[in-house]
Amino acid sequence: MPPLIVLENITKVYRTEGEEVHALQGISLVVQPNEYVAIMGPSGSGKSTLMHILGCLDTPTSGRYLLNGRDVSQLDDDELADIRNRQIGFVFQTFNLLPRATALKNVELPLIYAGVPAAERRERARRALEAVGLGDRLHHRPNELSGGQRQRVAIARALVVNPALILADEPTGNLDSVSGSEIMRLFTQLWQLGNTIIIVTHEDYIARYARRIIRIRDGKIESDEPNPEPVHLEQLPSMP
Amino acid sequence: MTRTELSEAFAIAIDTLQANRLRSVLATLGITIGVSFVALMGWFLAGLDSALQHTIDMLGEDMLYVDKWDWSGRTSWGEVSNRKPISYRQAQELATAMRTAQYAMPMGQTRAQLSVGSRKAESIPVAGVPHDYGNTPAGAVTAGRFFTEMEGRSGAPVAVLGPVIAKQLFPNENPLGKEIRIAGQRFTVIGVVRQRGTLLSDFADRLVLIPLERFLRLFGSGQRSFITVLKAGSLEQLGDVREEARLLMRKIRRLRPEQPDDFTINETRSLEQSIAVLRQSVWGVGLSMSALSFLVGIIGIVNIMFVSVVERTQEIGIRKAVGARRRAIALQFLTESVVLCTAGAVLALLLCTGLVLLVRLLIPAAEFLTPYIPPQHVAVALTVAFAAGIVAGWAPALRAARLHPVEALRYE
Repeated sequence: MPPLIVLENITKVYRTEGEEVHALQGISLVVQPNEYVAIMGPSGSGKSTLMHILGCLDTPTSGRYLLNGRDVSQLDDDELADIRNRQIGFVFQTFNLLPRATALKNVELPLIYAGVPAAERRERARRALEAVGLGDRLHHRPNELSGGQRQRVAIARALVVNPALILADEPTGNLDSVSGSEIMRLFTQLWQLGNTIIIVTHEDYIARYARRIIRIRDGKIESDEPNPEPVHLEQLPSMP
Repeated sequence: MTRTELSEAFAIAIDTLQANRLRSVLATLGITIGVSFVALMGWFLAGLDSALQHTIDMLGEDMLYVDKWDWSGRTSWGEVSNRKPISYRQAQELATAMRTAQYAMPMGQTRAQLSVGSRKAESIPVAGVPHDYGNTPAGAVTAGRFFTEMEGRSGAPVAVLGPVIAKQLFPNENPLGKEIRIAGQRFTVIGVVRQRGTLLSDFADRLVLIPLERFLRLFGSGQRSFITVLKAGSLEQLGDVREEARLLMRKIRRLRPEQPDDFTINETRSLEQSIAVLRQSVWGVGLSMSALSFLVGIIGIVNIMFVSVVERTQEIGIRKAVGARRRAIALQFLTESVVLCTAGAVLALLLCTGLVLLVRLLIPAAEFLTPYIPPQHVAVALTVAFAAGIVAGWAPALRAARLHPVEALRYE
């Protein structure tokens, strides 16, 4: 199988008030389909910038990014939007749900921009919510859901388009430890079902779930190794 | 543009407006006022037009009235009031000399007290006319008959009433054959003129017609100014009749060649001209007022849309992250702005329709107004509001569409 992600010498330079910030200084990386990767690093290490580029939310200053064999490093806004829509599912630290929309409507959102007809949209969103264990919360709004439930809605939204890649940015950062480990358990299950998952985090206990750990420091890859002791699902407390 | 994008944009717009009801209403106030101006103006002018047409039909468009007064108001008041009255003899002489007209007859007018028993009506217009007047549209009766040539010549004490005064004097009975007093003298009611209910309703529907002979005996000819009524017979004849009347009248009034006419040949058409002046000022004032309120309205909407974009920066980020293209985001805000403006216009039209109905109900004199706002004005108002929505939403929508997804997501 060809690699899902190939990064070749990616750099990113921000210019703020005449000052240049070299956020990424030559990152090269290959990720195969169905990998489970944690990208770790302290704040300011460039891991968020890397995640934005991996997620096609931003483009690199130089270097090449091949996603599923296609060079996406020089695409314009709308082309990137299409890539995000079809290939990437995001899970954010702050959930980023639309506050006035129900869980169902939130999960439907990517399908709206994919032009999926309403009936099919609703059905797919319902199945995605059932897959994350929220089949009984379809018509709740975010403020009627717990933090863990909100993050599940966000995961359902990421899953609903059957993306090639699920990108999670500190997905447990706003959750208590019980909900946090439930969410990690969900990610691990999704990985076992064949999804490719990249989680950006600065917490070791989160990274321990992944099978490969990449450490970033000062915009460079410091280490890139398999996780010697990954958490297995049996070791987890079962979901309530 | 996909249908899903459009229906999503519409759903968001409705949802947002509902979430910010008060703000939306306030934001769209300028548009509401602007549309109200356009609608009310159109409504008023349409009422005026239909009333005018009705009046012209009623008076007959081939009618000319040679009078001291200029009905169109184009001759200055000072000049007109300085004219010598047209004596009965002059009016009569003109009527007799006319060759081109189908009918030519002198007419006298005054105001008098009417009474039936103890019921009195003050200052009712009374006109003395020959029996030929019954052959003009203005003399058409719906009940009874007009007076005969015999009655006319002998000055019989008979009267033909306008429909409003007939109703006023005889609220619950048939006036035909009943006796009334005009300026104290007895008359028998023999006919009722058909209803006009238009611009001249106050005057024409209260007018009482009596034989000219009787009029002269009752009120005298003295300093009173008389009118010569001419019916051309056809619109083609109108020019000839007007010219003949003018030449004859100048001779009768003994005007030297360099002197201007000291009389006016009024046509039912001159009503149209006097209304044209009114129409222009209504348009002038109305258009500038509505242009101003639209301007203010658009500025208000632009402002509120920019606020909306800023408030929803994170939402824009979320939508972009899950794959919304620039066009979809721009469409969302444009739709919101258009819906806002159109809602303002619809609100205005509803308010105006309510106002129209209320005015018609409370003020009988406003009867000439049509009971609804003309559909073409509704169309114009909605189109203008739609366009205002596009104009007002353009810059905010563009700004929203161009937001960088990462920065939008980060925005708190």
